[in-house]
Amino acid sequence: MSQDTIVFSARKIVTMNPSRPSATHVAVQNGRIVAVGSFAEIVATSGAKVDDRFKDKVLLPGFVEGHSHIMEGMMWSLPYVGAFDRRSPEGKLVQGLPDIDAIVARLQEAEAAMTDAEAPLFAWGFDPLHIGSVSLTRQDLDRVSTTRPIMVVHASFHISNVNTIVLQRAELDRTTNISGVVMGKDGEPSGEVQGIAARFRVFRVLGTNPLSGNLTADDVNRYAASSCIQGVTTITDLHNDLADLTIEVYRAASRRDDFSVRLVPAMASVSHSPEQGVEKIKTLKASNNDKLHYGIVKLVVDGSIQGFTARLRWPGYHNGAPNGLWYIAPEELPSIVAAYHNAGIQLHIHTNGDEATEVALDAVEAAQIAKPRPDHRHTLQHCQMADAAQFKRMKSLGMCVNLFSNHIYYWGDSHYELTMGPERANRLDATGTALRVGVPFAIHSDAPVTPLSPLFTAWCAVNRVSSSGRVLGKETEALTVEQALAAITINAAYTLKLDHIVGSIEAGKYADFAVLDEDPLEVAPEKLKDIAIWGTVVGGHVREAPRA
Amino acid sequence: MTAASSAKIPVTVVGGFLGAGKTTYLNHLLRTGSARYAVLVNDFGAVNIDAGLIAQHDGTTMTLTNGCVCCSIGGGFLDTLGRILDDAIPFDHIIIEASGVGDPWRIAEIALVEPSLRLNAVIVVADASRISKLLIDSHVGDTVRGQFDRCSLVLLNKVDLLNRTAADAARATVAALRPDIQIIETTEDTLPVLPDGEVKATSRFAATAVNDSVDHESAFHRWSYRRSGTFDRGQLTAALAALPPQLLRLKGQCRIAGDASPALLQMVGQDWALTPAPADMTAQNDIMLVGVGTDALPDAAALDAILDGALIQVSQTHPTTADLNRRHAAFTL
Repeated sequence: MSQDTIVFSARKIVTMNPSRPSATHVAVQNGRIVAVGSFAEIVATSGAKVDDRFKDKVLLPGFVEGHSHIMEGMMWSLPYVGAFDRRSPEGKLVQGLPDIDAIVARLQEAEAAMTDAEAPLFAWGFDPLHIGSVSLTRQDLDRVSTTRPIMVVHASFHISNVNTIVLQRAELDRTTNISGVVMGKDGEPSGEVQGIAARFRVFRVLGTNPLSGNLTADDVNRYAASSCIQGVTTITDLHNDLADLTIEVYRAASRRDDFSVRLVPAMASVSHSPEQGVEKIKTLKASNNDKLHYGIVKLVVDGSIQGFTARLRWPGYHNGAPNGLWYIAPEELPSIVAAYHNAGIQLHIHTNGDEATEVALDAVEAAQIAKPRPDHRHTLQHCQMADAAQFKRMKSLGMCVNLFSNHIYYWGDSHYELTMGPERANRLDATGTALRVGVPFAIHSDAPVTPLSPLFTAWCAVNRVSSSGRVLGKETEALTVEQALAAITINAAYTLKLDHIVGSIEAGKYADFAVLDEDPLEVAPEKLKDIAIWGTVVGGHVREAPRA
Repeated sequence: MTAASSAKIPVTVVGGFLGAGKTTYLNHLLRTGSARYAVLVNDFGAVNIDAGLIAQHDGTTMTLTNGCVCCSIGGGFLDTLGRILDDAIPFDHIIIEASGVGDPWRIAEIALVEPSLRLNAVIVVADASRISKLLIDSHVGDTVRGQFDRCSLVLLNKVDLLNRTAADAARATVAALRPDIQIIETTEDTLPVLPDGEVKATSRFAATAVNDSVDHESAFHRWSYRRSGTFDRGQLTAALAALPPQLLRLKGQCRIAGDASPALLQMVGQDWALTPAPADMTAQNDIMLVGVGTDALPDAAALDAILDGALIQVSQTHPTTADLNRRHAAFTL
């Protein structure tokens, strides 16, 4: 072996390569894997230099997060006020907040640290469903400040709560029956604002919209740091307009040697005509480098199930709520799908409700009949309510699916009680059905909607338990640990058409590893999420996760 | 903070399902614009303006020789509209195209909450040859029906593709959704100019000639309501909800107990808002409202009685200092 080859030794290497499932040594040269095997196979004969810093660690392929958003990197510049613990990009465990008082206290702390008396305070991650459906009122936020504008963005990103000064400045402090200015029990505006009109007004008086700010290098670095902390070495940004500025930030970041994640941005179809979109992806693809992989497009067909904006087939929402919203018209979908399909581009199609899934299947079927394309791997994203018949259609059409397993934990109770009812909630994110039918699948977090952590996502798919402890369809839909690990490595890579270069530890692929303290195949399945992650190796560069 | 009412820019939202002719109508408005319009569109590629009329085109904004501007919403609706409002010279009218599967009312609400804007009209364009089927379509029927819920005018387009019986049937299905709504039959060559902000709805029985956008005044009943005194906020909410559907619009000045300055009440259909009254609005009475309804509007006494129920009794007309403080405290703590 050549001089510049490094051999990492480890307590165990779980390769996710079925033809060589485990090893103890991996040789790396120029960022790629030269060989995987035992001491005898790799070191004894070649005399290569051994780096034994991982001798007590377990190496896995670097995790592949197939559905997350750069917003995860952007949000961490703001205080987090959600109910569940999260890990910041600095590696700090940020405690979840169980009630309104705790939220107010954290905001008070953030407010006290601000130097500019005029600057608005934004926070994120709130979800009333997670703290017993208690609202965060303007009076609560007035306890933080009556003079500084405060805006708390919900975990869904569609609803916000503001304090009284914001309502006053926006002149939304009057009684009105405009939808989106929610009234409290006293008949006065409660401080909850939603919908396009109220949002427009609030962002105008605040002079800034924290959700649409220009992307900075810091945001991307935070995204990479969070990836490292969670063992992720390939990450998507699965819906991006890809404005010129964003493209430049991604280009610059991905070319730095110390940039520690491979980035897979999906162009948002909504901001482009199909003709423009096809051209743009082709142009961007030509600029790909080893850590930047353009080439996929994202379509959003419907909304979210817990927000009652997903499109459901009969019998609809369990609690009788009216059906949700189309973001793309069903009759328009086939022509958009066909445009990208015919151009050889892989489609990632967001469908939460089963009616949205149905029209997406119809559109891909029409495209396949008109122009059959082998190995297109068009992937349904979320696809939380699909039944066996729909999985069988995916299989016939050559499609993949990326299931939102974290939903079982975070909103499983809501789905059981409100949105879907027991039967459908039990087959929510039906990984077992996907296995039985043979549809290639991944599982995901949709970070920042839920925390970025593939091991936690795998834990959800294995244990299928909600945050209240309710077990949903475990007998029929749960994965084994090994199957779940495949869904966050090689199979997630497959859904991105990157399984030839990442997703397993085998000769020829990038030297991308997740470095773990314990072997996930040996710990108790209910402890899967608790395995400590030391850091990652990306293209042979060792990166210890920041700890704070 | 409140712009004077004279400076408010009128907003018209154009909605309707895919293929109804929204873009055709917007093209028509851009070409024939008699004032400086800003037109926000979803798909720039579909805008079809003669090259000779285009003064400048930078990929997201097209400036026409007649002063109108057409912007692509592609880069984000809120940012695009914000830029339009920040233009150095205020536009004469802002026209916004709603998505084919969107609810135009959601966008119209911006004009009700943004003080520099006023809502002129919500127009739904419907393809006369498809609308009856779309309204009962299993996938999009609910979406399409919802678009009509709160529009102020329907353009029943492409009637030239139909015979009279079929056109009447299409009109009847729309009228069944909104008996009070004005429906104008149009073709690509006979699209109307922008309504002037006094869009009037007709009753189902009023005769409406093709392309007759001006209704006869006799088809409408007016109602004036003048009182000294103040409304109770909660009672007013209830009273407004109790007004009959035949009342199409209600607008004017009033006073709300606990508020130092008078308020402007604007109600269209079931939707209303109270905003601080412009400084130039000086009424003799504390409350002066003018309503317009269909010819089936109940008589004035019945309507008066509903709003009277929201008045604070004379003895309580002047709230105590404690009341004022309590009200005030709710917003200034």
